[in-house]
Amino acid sequence: MSIRAEIKYKIMKDYGAPALMALQEFKRRKPRPIPEAFGPPLESNKRLKEILSRHYFLSRYVPGVKKVAWVTSGAPVELLRAFDFYTIYPENHSALIGAKKQGADYCGIAEGSGFSQDLCSYARIDLGHMLSGKTPAGKLPKPDLLFCSNNICQTVLYWYKAIAHELDIPLIHFDAPFVTTEQTEADITYMAQQLQDMIPILERVSQRVFYLDVFEDILKCSMETSQTWGAILDAMKAQPAPMTIFDAFGHLAPIVSLRGFPVAQDYYHILMEEVETRVTQGIGAISDERYRLIWDNIAIWYKVRFLATFFAERKMNFVTATYTNAWAETTGYLDVKDPWTSMAKTYGQIILNNNLKHRLELMKKMIKTYAVDGMVMHSTRSCKPYSVGQFDLRKALTADLDLPAVILDADIADERVWSEQQIHTRLEAFCETLEGSRNA
Amino acid sequence: MIPARSEYLKELAQSGQKIMGVLPALYPRELLWAFDIHTAEIWDPPGEILHANAHLQTTICPIVKRSLEFILKEPDVINAGYLFPHTCDSLQNLGTQVKDLIGVSLPVYTFYNPKGSFNTTTTTYYRDILQNFQSSLETSYGPLDSEKLLTACVLSHKIDSHLITIQHARMTDQLPLSNSEFFKLMRAQEYLLPKDYLSLLEQVDILDQPAKTTGARLLVSGILPPTPEILEFLDELGVSVVADDLLAVSRRIPKFPMDPPTSALDYLTDRFFILPPCSTRGGDLDERLYHLSKLMNESQVQGLLFDIVKFCEPELFDHRLLVKTLRERNIPVLTLETELHNHISGQDKTRIEAFTELLFDMVVT
Amino acid sequence: MPDLYFAGVDVGSLSTDVSIIDQSGKVMSEIVIPTGVNGSEAAENAFDSALKLANLERESITAITATGYGRASVTFATGKTTEISCHGVGAHQLFPKTGTVIDIGGQDSKVIQIDSQGRMLDFTMNDKCAAGTGRFLEVMANRLELDLSELSSPLNIEGESAPISSTCTVFAESEVISLLAKHTPREHIVHGLQRSIVNRIWSMVASIGIKGDVTLTGGVALNRGLVALLEEKMGLTLNIPENPQTVGSLGAAHIASRAYINQTGTSRVKGVK
Repeated sequence: MSIRAEIKYKIMKDYGAPALMALQEFKRRKPRPIPEAFGPPLESNKRLKEILSRHYFLSRYVPGVKKVAWVTSGAPVELLRAFDFYTIYPENHSALIGAKKQGADYCGIAEGSGFSQDLCSYARIDLGHMLSGKTPAGKLPKPDLLFCSNNICQTVLYWYKAIAHELDIPLIHFDAPFVTTEQTEADITYMAQQLQDMIPILERVSQRVFYLDVFEDILKCSMETSQTWGAILDAMKAQPAPMTIFDAFGHLAPIVSLRGFPVAQDYYHILMEEVETRVTQGIGAISDERYRLIWDNIAIWYKVRFLATFFAERKMNFVTATYTNAWAETTGYLDVKDPWTSMAKTYGQIILNNNLKHRLELMKKMIKTYAVDGMVMHSTRSCKPYSVGQFDLRKALTADLDLPAVILDADIADERVWSEQQIHTRLEAFCETLEGSRNA
Repeated sequence: MIPARSEYLKELAQSGQKIMGVLPALYPRELLWAFDIHTAEIWDPPGEILHANAHLQTTICPIVKRSLEFILKEPDVINAGYLFPHTCDSLQNLGTQVKDLIGVSLPVYTFYNPKGSFNTTTTTYYRDILQNFQSSLETSYGPLDSEKLLTACVLSHKIDSHLITIQHARMTDQLPLSNSEFFKLMRAQEYLLPKDYLSLLEQVDILDQPAKTTGARLLVSGILPPTPEILEFLDELGVSVVADDLLAVSRRIPKFPMDPPTSALDYLTDRFFILPPCSTRGGDLDERLYHLSKLMNESQVQGLLFDIVKFCEPELFDHRLLVKTLRERNIPVLTLETELHNHISGQDKTRIEAFTELLFDMVVT
Repeated sequence: MPDLYFAGVDVGSLSTDVSIIDQSGKVMSEIVIPTGVNGSEAAENAFDSALKLANLERESITAITATGYGRASVTFATGKTTEISCHGVGAHQLFPKTGTVIDIGGQDSKVIQIDSQGRMLDFTMNDKCAAGTGRFLEVMANRLELDLSELSSPLNIEGESAPISSTCTVFAESEVISLLAKHTPREHIVHGLQRSIVNRIWSMVASIGIKGDVTLTGGVALNRGLVALLEEKMGLTLNIPENPQTVGSLGAAHIASRAYINQTGTSRVKGVK
């Protein structure tokens, strides 16, 4: 670790970052006009942008000061925090690029290098970024370590393997056996042991010693943060809901990529407060909430604003989603006094690692408790664990609950996968059904 | 003479044999044999896909689609249940989709394949899940006779030994079989009773000396062997597939001969971990390259054929680096994409011919 | 020494082309006719026309190599070779420093890497869909109510272009319809379409890599607008044959000539080091 780099990092953290935030705030004097269909925007949005920009900004001063790890969204990052790794989440980065409608560009780089167009677009974008060094987030540091878990999909293992080979760096994979009915003792033992096995490599790469008490504090912080996030999502049961799931897609970023840090913990307290106030005052995310919807699967990042507006104009609000719920659902299993086993239970039972019976029951529960009137399922080309089985889930839910539903064929971050005609036809038909069933 | 798959299984089912339908790819078949359950593998059942499309998106691989189509037909030959080993995301989800959402009248089992290399943690886990699987079978079939399990392991070991010898003989031109004949023999493993398969292997003629060959030699890599039409076409063009890196064939055969089993649990665990590297088990890329190099050197091939099943994610991720490295070493590579129709398109014929022209100094007449 | 003559017959999905050369490689005649519904007939007719043009009889042709999609139907051929080999050899004959050949045909497109003798080293083909082929342009020309030639005129590279994002021809056509409905000027749409094709071609080229000089063949090489964009994208100048459509048949004729002159009827296989 170089002294110069450490000093620079400290200066940037304490002075540079705040200065940047102030500059951005100054530039942002003129707010973008909000369409009538929406309620007042969340005040917390400002703070959200700040902490995320700060995180990406500081990352360029990290080389020589901290070791950098690229991490998957479902990985037990708390362990990395105990070694003070600076973490980057390629999925988050790819989503950002997708939202900027630059996904196709980056995919093109990966495809030109020989990766098939049939692969997950998060992966193609990330590989495009890794191969070219290009990024709209300024400048991302190269990783010293890759940390992945297949509890969200097997693809991350293939993807991270490719990066590990290209950059010649170690890859740690947390193997999470799929939950067919229940997690078994064997599964839990296996995962708990893997976590402990990782410690020597993490010590070696990070050049830091593992302290159990430091780790326990991080776990505690992480737990509390997830619980707060869960409470925020719960608050959307209110009618009208104080937030929309499209907002939640954005507010997801800290729990995914800054989990374990006080900054994320504090942030969700701020958001929780604002959300509670809105509930008390009856302020809704959209100005006139007549229909409440559930969203299934990851966001269509390049069409979030379009979809949010489309539905808000029709007085429809998304009040719950399986995706945003994933970082709150299994928090209850965490136990600071029994870290390894409890992490095995928490991370092993993430929705995408769990059987479809569980998913069906979960969705039924969400539809009932959030008073949902209709369902929109994003069938994403990129994500097999989320999309394979959707047709049958839809059938089961529409049959059991008499729920209007629509499936949109699109993608998470590759904007080329979008058929304007087809989507519009389906959306219009869905709205007619929804409105029709209300009037009937 | 190798009996045809459907007739063989039909007769077997009619005789009262318990038959479990097994999806790709790796599973402790010896355990099922010990319960007198025959393992009939479901990889690419032929026929039109009609009903599966109501359950699966268009961008799902044909192995998954065809398998589901087959399961939805409720075939009589499968009477003991279905086993979904964990291989990839799509098959993982197909298992739970069939079990929990679509529903079938037979029991559905799963078996997880750990995605890590050999160490105490993974081997302990593997032994545990073997025992768990045994327990779940015992609830339906009664207590396991451990003698039978050892016998099954011994049988499996014999089959492996023959396969290793046969594979080696093919690489050194001591196995006078056409591409079609060879892969028919390899694929018979998917449906023949192990004792029948062993007899078949025992009858295979191996020459004492390598035969003189003039044609081009290829290594094929992928999930399944090329379709019979493609294999015949390659035979016509004088191209021999002398080695393979296929999940359905060589990636399921131990890298080297094992000692005859004395403890079933040890044998099954060890065997799993000495299988060649595979994209579906997160096989390290350097290991895969090393393994391919070894195969290429041993079999003196002129080039490589990647036969990739459309939408196969594990294969496609690895494919890019493998091809890049091979190109850097000036090794001719051809990549075909298959949807598992036994019909070779004009375009693929052209590709294969052009590749053959590349391999041969003079053009094909 | 009596003159020897060799012919190459390329039966493509859209056109059938014949080239006749002598043993020194001098081109005696070249013919391009539409294939129509009967490839065998087209081959016969084209061959007869080429003979007439060269003032030669059938008997004076020593060897005939057939190539292209319909090569199997050329009954009078003495040999068959894929169009990939033929394009490689043909491009090499016209531009000896060629290392990479890009062929954009009616229904497929390919990139071929060749050695200093014009022999294939590696190739990649896009034949699963129309995007990046002549068919794509046909569909779009139709939709824009333009003549194909109007889609070929040189355009201002710096000018505005309406982005077409779909990789699929069918969806791209829908995009064009939407753009027309929004009164987007046709030149911008044409520019967008050209860029779209160029991007597809560029991915294919990038996947195999550029080696030596690059020669562009196939009917689309006559599209000056596309050529300019492709050159800009690739950052180099492309070799454009005078008759880009007959590169395949020319190559086939040379292959017939080589096979005969070298008198190697059987194949020799090169080993891998």
